[in-house]
Amino acid sequence: MSVLAPRAQSVKSKHTQVEIYSMSPDISSEQAVRGAIQTHSKRVWRFGLALSGASDVADDLLQSTCLRALERHHQVTSYDRLDSWLMTICRSIWLNEVRARSVRKAQALSVTPEAELVATGPDSETNIFAAEVFTQVMELPEAQRETVMLVFVEGYSYREAAALLEVPIGTIMSRLSNARQKLKNVMQHDAADTVRRSGK
Amino acid sequence: MKFSDETLRAYLEGNADAAEAAAIEAAIETDLALEQRLMTLDPLAPVVQSVFENIPADAPQLELPQPMQVSTADASGGLWRLMAVAASVAVVAVSATFWATRPEPMGWAEQAAIYQSLYSPDTIESLDSSPVALDAQFARAEAQLGRSLNRDTLETLPGLELKRAQVLSFKGKPLIQVVFADDQGQPLAFCVIRQGEGAPAKDVKLAAISGVATATWAQDGYGYMLIGSSEQTDLDQQLNILTTTFAG
Repeated sequence: MSVLAPRAQSVKSKHTQVEIYSMSPDISSEQAVRGAIQTHSKRVWRFGLALSGASDVADDLLQSTCLRALERHHQVTSYDRLDSWLMTICRSIWLNEVRARSVRKAQALSVTPEAELVATGPDSETNIFAAEVFTQVMELPEAQRETVMLVFVEGYSYREAAALLEVPIGTIMSRLSNARQKLKNVMQHDAADTVRRSGK
Repeated sequence: MKFSDETLRAYLEGNADAAEAAAIEAAIETDLALEQRLMTLDPLAPVVQSVFENIPADAPQLELPQPMQVSTADASGGLWRLMAVAASVAVVAVSATFWATRPEPMGWAEQAAIYQSLYSPDTIESLDSSPVALDAQFARAEAQLGRSLNRDTLETLPGLELKRAQVLSFKGKPLIQVVFADDQGQPLAFCVIRQGEGAPAKDVKLAAISGVATATWAQDGYGYMLIGSSEQTDLDQQLNILTTTFAG
């Protein structure tokens, strides 16, 4: 066996206790992290977009997140939820290193959500509706937006989102309630459209 | 407690009464099955998901360092080891560069100066500076800040006309920006941030940030900043008055 092949191991360091137990002996933590990056790059990018409201910042956040994750692959404790680990890194980079700059820029220049990101299909009414939903979600306050993205789009449970965002589950629920209230109008509008189109 | 689908739907639509909503939210804490049901019944989730799931349309571009692990099967001899070492050096170099060039988090004063530097005479020309508007702005600002802004002093600063007091926020701390016009209509600002008890006092420091002259100081849990309209703005006269007025 090569000395270069890391094996399942348990390492205790001063700051972090790292225990790798559920891993296949043939997969290194670095390979696992690389795999997770490939698999989840779209969702991390999307989360970056939800946090920042700007696709160029989302690009940067994704790139920084992946580099940071690779630096820290040895901290991985379980291969089960590398996606939420990546999301956590992304959010931490956003909060600690990028947010202040970007928010200031957005306030000063009144950046509007980038509705052109919504894919255009053949049905123009559907497109208009999708763009409207997109805009409404992106105009939610940041805390609601990140919660909506994790729960509604990425399918995290309330408690998973609570753990990821480090807030009580009740906070997740009230953020979602508030978001629902704000998104209600566009939904009702859609329901009316659907009824009209189906001729009822 | 058992909740019917009808009750859960009413909750999701914002139509449950407060007691029911509170009961559901309390039960969710421990009831995994209830959480699942609620998520399944949510009418909004699939709509939002369908809009966002194809964003971005293509896999985002990534530049990752080369893997530092090599295949274990036929790794033998010094060559593999050499390559692995070279690769890990590359990873460390990339990481170190990334680390070294990561943006330093900016302080409030720097950000306020950058924000202010985007102001032009046109920005402040159209501001509503009526006494009624200023009354409301100062009431709001002073409530946020938890101290007086000494409006009398601000209104009588030599050569400056008071235009607006605006509540901003920096890392959760209230940051008040008071904007003035000089006799050429150029924008200047005086900013106050509540830093909290125990924040260190700082003597007046002059600096040009983002093309504007600034003076900052801190005392008794508040930070202060006077911002000119250009690097050449002479802040002395106003600074003397403000440092005396806002000495604590």
